[in-house]
Amino acid sequence: MAKNILALFQYEDDFLAAAAKLRAAGFGHITLMTPLPMPEAEKLAGLEKSPVRRFSLIGAIIGGLSGFAMATACALVFILPTGGRPIITIPPFLVITYEMTILIGVLSTLLGFHIVSGLPAWRDAPYRIESNIDRFSIVVGFRPEDDSALAVKILREAGAGEITHWEEPE
Amino acid sequence: MADYREPAYADVNRDILQTMLVTGPRYWIVFGITSTVALVCFFLPWIYQWHVGVGAAGMNRNAVWGTYLSNFIFWIGLSHSGTLLSAVLHITGSGWRKAIYRSAEAMTLFSLMTAALFVMVHLGRVWFVHWSIPIPNPMGLWPNFRSPLLFDVMAITTYLVASSIFIYMGSVPDYAAVRDASTGLRRRLYAIFSFGWRGTAQEWHTLGWAYTFFAVFVIPLAVSVHSIVSWDFAMSLVPGLHQTIFAPYFVCGAIYSGTAGIVTVMYLLRRCLNLERYIREIHLDNLGKLLIALSLVWSYINILELFTGWYSGTSYEYEALRFKLFGFYAPLYWEMITFCALVPLLIFWKKIRLSWNRMFVISILINIGMLTERFIIVATSQPRKFLPAAFGFYFPSVVEIMITIGSFAVFATLFLIFIKWTPCVSIYEVKETLKPLRRAA
Repeated sequence: MAKNILALFQYEDDFLAAAAKLRAAGFGHITLMTPLPMPEAEKLAGLEKSPVRRFSLIGAIIGGLSGFAMATACALVFILPTGGRPIITIPPFLVITYEMTILIGVLSTLLGFHIVSGLPAWRDAPYRIESNIDRFSIVVGFRPEDDSALAVKILREAGAGEITHWEEPE
Repeated sequence: MADYREPAYADVNRDILQTMLVTGPRYWIVFGITSTVALVCFFLPWIYQWHVGVGAAGMNRNAVWGTYLSNFIFWIGLSHSGTLLSAVLHITGSGWRKAIYRSAEAMTLFSLMTAALFVMVHLGRVWFVHWSIPIPNPMGLWPNFRSPLLFDVMAITTYLVASSIFIYMGSVPDYAAVRDASTGLRRRLYAIFSFGWRGTAQEWHTLGWAYTFFAVFVIPLAVSVHSIVSWDFAMSLVPGLHQTIFAPYFVCGAIYSGTAGIVTVMYLLRRCLNLERYIREIHLDNLGKLLIALSLVWSYINILELFTGWYSGTSYEYEALRFKLFGFYAPLYWEMITFCALVPLLIFWKKIRLSWNRMFVISILINIGMLTERFIIVATSQPRKFLPAAFGFYFPSVVEIMITIGSFAVFATLFLIFIKWTPCVSIYEVKETLKPLRRAA
């Protein structure tokens, strides 16, 4: 069983200070949960540029290529000669290319969102519904060598309102 | 008496979730009316049209496009509201959008669905719709991607998919709030919809990036969708339609109509769901300013359209202009100018701009004008073309008029389902606009 403690904070500055102190004390497995997006918390969690952008770019490129290929393939398999114009007509096919670029780009961004954020995550994980309303919570996961009493002390001193212990299956 | 004090975080959850979780008899009465009207006025006439053929509509040999297509343009136009509020204002960092963008996105989605229904209605033999998809079929037919109609298929499919994902992804944290506030089957259902969201820094960070990329994808998509719809007309050689101004004209008209639609929906949500604390005067003020700007651009493009028709020096264009301004449908043209170019000038007055009732009336008038505009585009140009001896005339049949009325009920029914399915105001984004919970503060 993996051991965790979950601390709830009423104020975001207390919460951020506690997270910074835990980091400084060498606790590695820290999860910060907030009821709204908080750039400071993301920075503390060491998150900068998201890999989602790679999914968007690769999806858009694949979409563009497949859009042009689809229009070309349809034109070749069902030939409609019109007024001496070429069978593979670039300007109208660019519209299809453009739309497919966006379609596959959007779908791959969605895929990227799920992969990078780790969702769906329906397993039982430390969570209190207050952290989706008006509280800020820190989950500290302990390795065998970690001093859990120290973590509790840091959290208490920083102003944690409630601290609960949580054991989740490995 | 409405409470206008700034809500606390917990109030936001409670107030917004109660619009979903508490359903009074008034909701069911309105829902019953809209769904009945949708069935009787939209689906039954459509089924009748399947049975007797597309001749049930008032279209004829000269006028092969009618109200179905004008309604299609109208609904596509209305769908641009969500894009403007969600995407453009997200990218530009306009904080005031946060309380109203979710409903605007829903408008986008349901307008698009209604518009897509009109494509099916117009097709006549809707069971052959799969012929427009590049898959093998017994006829050996493959779509011709050189046609603007196929551009339309691609653009609308993409817009529908992107809008659905856009609204869904932005709602995931709020689905988690619904999960936490409910019990039983609803809790289990929303646990699935929210994908186990806990609000970790990683989840927020990824959502923020993905949402921004969505916005970046959706803005050019929206512009392309209405440009492509305009090309359905402008790429023909029909006098009155064959104009290069059509793409910006359609895009501007779409955003204009969509913004007016948002004012209408915000008024109704505020009144009916007691959201006065969240949908406030600042929203009305800013939407009013947007409406003025859009109305001026729209008026300018209309003047330009008249000018280019006159400056072309061709008798066909002159005749198309004369018929539009002084022909059978001239009263509709002048009604459109009154509602879309003159009435919105009243919004310059702050007293009018900050009055919910007056803005509600103006927004309805603007959309009546925009619906008329779409009708005029279809009915005054395409049945007449070049040879006076072959001039035709189009007037909608009872079936078309019923389906037009029914489409509003279809939209309203979908929207009513939405407000019980998804929080119509974004909970977490509203919290971002409130005073932060800091001990130092």
